[in-house]
Amino acid sequence: MNNPPTLKTRREFLQGSLLAGSLSWTIPAFLSRTITTLRAGPSTGETDRNILVVVQLAGGNDGLNTLVPFSNDDYYKARPNLGVPARTVLKLNDEVGLHPALGGLRHLHASGQLAVWQGVGYPNPNRSHFRSTEIWQTASASEINEKYGWLGRYFDHACAGAEPTVGVSVGRQSPQSFAGPKPLGVSLEQPETYRFADTDPAQGNMASGESFYRHLNRPDILDNGGEMNTGGSVGAVAGTIASHQNPLDFLERTALDAQVSSDRIRALNKNSLNRVSYPVSALSNQLKLVARLIGGGLPTRVFYVSQGGYDTHTNQSGSHDRLLGELGSAIKAFNEDIKAQGNLDKVLLMTFSEFGRRVKQNANGGTDHGAAAPLFMVGSKVRPGILGTAPDLTPTNLHNGDLKFTTDFRSLYAGVIEQWLGTESKSILKWSGPAARIT
Amino acid sequence: MLSPLAPAKWGFASAAHLLNRAGFGGPPKQIDQLASLGLEKAVDQLVKFDQNPDLTSPPAWTKPDSDRVKELQEFRKASLEERKELQKVRRRMQRNHMTELRHWWLNRMVSTSHPLQEKLTLFWHGHFATSVQKVKDAYLMWRQNDLFRRQGAGEWLALLTEVAKDPAMLVWLDQGQSRKENPNENFAREVMELFTLGEGQYTEKDVTEAARAFTGWAYERADQRFVVRPRWHDAGTKTILGQSGYWTGNDVLKLVVSQPNAPEFITQKLWNFFAGQPPSAELSQALASEFVRHGQEIRPWLMTVFRSEEFYSPTVMRQQVKSPVFWLVNSARILQRELPPAEATNNLLRLMGQELFAPPNVKGWDGGLAWITTNNLLTRYNSAEYLVSGENPLNYATNRAKKGPNQPRRLPLAGAVRLDAWLEEEDWVDPEHLLRTLETRLFQAPLREKQRANVREYLASRTPLDTTDILHAIRLLMSTPDFQLT
Repeated sequence: MNNPPTLKTRREFLQGSLLAGSLSWTIPAFLSRTITTLRAGPSTGETDRNILVVVQLAGGNDGLNTLVPFSNDDYYKARPNLGVPARTVLKLNDEVGLHPALGGLRHLHASGQLAVWQGVGYPNPNRSHFRSTEIWQTASASEINEKYGWLGRYFDHACAGAEPTVGVSVGRQSPQSFAGPKPLGVSLEQPETYRFADTDPAQGNMASGESFYRHLNRPDILDNGGEMNTGGSVGAVAGTIASHQNPLDFLERTALDAQVSSDRIRALNKNSLNRVSYPVSALSNQLKLVARLIGGGLPTRVFYVSQGGYDTHTNQSGSHDRLLGELGSAIKAFNEDIKAQGNLDKVLLMTFSEFGRRVKQNANGGTDHGAAAPLFMVGSKVRPGILGTAPDLTPTNLHNGDLKFTTDFRSLYAGVIEQWLGTESKSILKWSGPAARIT
Repeated sequence: MLSPLAPAKWGFASAAHLLNRAGFGGPPKQIDQLASLGLEKAVDQLVKFDQNPDLTSPPAWTKPDSDRVKELQEFRKASLEERKELQKVRRRMQRNHMTELRHWWLNRMVSTSHPLQEKLTLFWHGHFATSVQKVKDAYLMWRQNDLFRRQGAGEWLALLTEVAKDPAMLVWLDQGQSRKENPNENFAREVMELFTLGEGQYTEKDVTEAARAFTGWAYERADQRFVVRPRWHDAGTKTILGQSGYWTGNDVLKLVVSQPNAPEFITQKLWNFFAGQPPSAELSQALASEFVRHGQEIRPWLMTVFRSEEFYSPTVMRQQVKSPVFWLVNSARILQRELPPAEATNNLLRLMGQELFAPPNVKGWDGGLAWITTNNLLTRYNSAEYLVSGENPLNYATNRAKKGPNQPRRLPLAGAVRLDAWLEEEDWVDPEHLLRTLETRLFQAPLREKQRANVREYLASRTPLDTTDILHAIRLLMSTPDFQLT
């Protein structure tokens, strides 16, 4: 075990050639990575890597009305009012087609850039929103409670030394998929407000308010000779070695990541433009930003965006139509923008939802929580087509009124991690099933 | 476990902690007053709030709408065009009412003499996580809020039963129309999973059987009240949680609350809310037993908790991340300023991730470290400027069409903090004195030496200090990791 380093000045610490060696056990691991990043600056090979864009459909997307089994009588028997009329379905083959609002995806299908994975779910399906969302975010078996996200574990395993922007979530909250032992990834709503807005500018010799803000938000570790927050002061836990779950350390770490990522993203966003016009919706705005950040060369491996509102228990047809319309048109515009950038081959977009919905319509013009549902992947490198096995709609073959899954979502995650992100998946997912072929 | 804190450990720091957790904190004078009472009387003052009357009135429109039936009839007779217009008008009115309602509640939190009552109301709001986005009626949201306020410190079963029949809740969980032919499962499931027992403490069969028992519970839209429709009710026997009988909705609630693991579930949530962390297994048992000892009544249980040494442990004190609501209300209290206008407070809290009456999902708000992302942290730092100077450093145009939905709008001017309300003469001329004043008021505990050094340097660079400099210093102090903790 190393002795804690004796650090003379901040500058020496940062520039020290012993930096690697001085990362002793007293420094929480996540900070060691951040410090390495500060010293190294952006690394050049980063922007050549593949990028994954995850689109969460929050609330439980009704898969049966998304990928409509229009040639199946059981579907219409179960949904006399809610079933999508066969004549309006955007047929992809003789058996299934897309909801009429998904013209954007049909277009991508025609150009061989759409993969529709059928019947995606997992054993022992859970019908609780956040439990099932948690299962998808953590790739855990449904009986196991896993705290860290599958992407957080991917960052941890495969992205050592990466910048905080290795994962970028557009939205107010950081998704559980990003949660990791050394938390990585940033979340922001938009670049213009993603900064410390200073009202106290520098004048003559007097430093700006912003420079004091930066000093007040440097982790103790960079000034403290390697010692953790101790003593009876604010946030400290007297006499103990703080783990990275010490709230003050977490706050400091987030503050530092905010500074580093804010500087980067804003510099980059200024010079990056969208090259196509996008529809107006919250999801579209998120993807617009993602496209600009990709075009600007932000070294991000995974972007995460989210579209809410899919929990259609009542009066489904109006809201579901609108949501799917927004989804299809936003993804199409995004795809065209990435293509115009010349980055089409580097980007793979994947949707997911915590569950599908029950086969039978309910008494409120909607559907209740279900299980398996289709999942989309979009990109020039995806293995396109209607993939996997269509789930069985025969009433006697349902599981408590729900579709039984035919593709385990973890096989798709494994495929993405191995074939797209380029690293082994078993230790990340803690799942040893076979990876689906996704590219 | 849960023995009272030793008197020698009671003082300013513990009084501040109590006021922060059992309420929304306050300026040094209030903390001193609490400290002077000693532990027992201080807890009494906070917990036995019913002994002081509270005469705040609700918004004017929070009463049954006598025109409602007539409006519904007119709507049915109207043409498609007219309906669209009526709906537009109604939506605008609802938006305005919600803005007003949120602000009304925040003002209560800031100026109440019953801080624990408001804090409990906030807890129950998160626990029962009902969102106006589905309920779509500000009056119903107020009624639920009022219910939490009135009953939030009483008996658990009584509160639960009233909430289960609350119109906003009935709409929220689709319990407005549950018939025996098609029982609504959503309500039954959430009652067990979210409100009383937690995941894994019941089976799917329990849910479907309980759903049968709840059939007949309905919501009468015309006059907005809970009714029971016997013809809708499945009167057969049900087996729920191992017990068989001709159960009704009321029976289900009694059954769940008397499950052996039910007390632990709710007391864990309460402890986590007030202490800022989940209890250890041993403490959890003790909390549950204490709850049962008091007949599952909240108020006496809280008395024990707020007097216990566990509550004042160094791993609990100053370790809780401030929720956005706490951040805003507490800041207003310690800066001794009015809240900014309603439109601003609505926007700020939405940006910070805690929109009152609109929790993001059925679980309410996760809280703790989940409040903090790179984005939210910067939002807090920028909102601090707005609270201190009354001007939003990020003001920009309201062109929604161009920028899309969910964009923060221009915030109105809110007036600066009035330093003369609480700064002393010494503070203006002696930077070290000022530093200690700000430290005590903003943090109620000593700052780390490195932070003190930074602030000293700032103040030295701005000497002689004027109002603007001190306001900037406060904004800087609020823009630290340290300030996010209580």
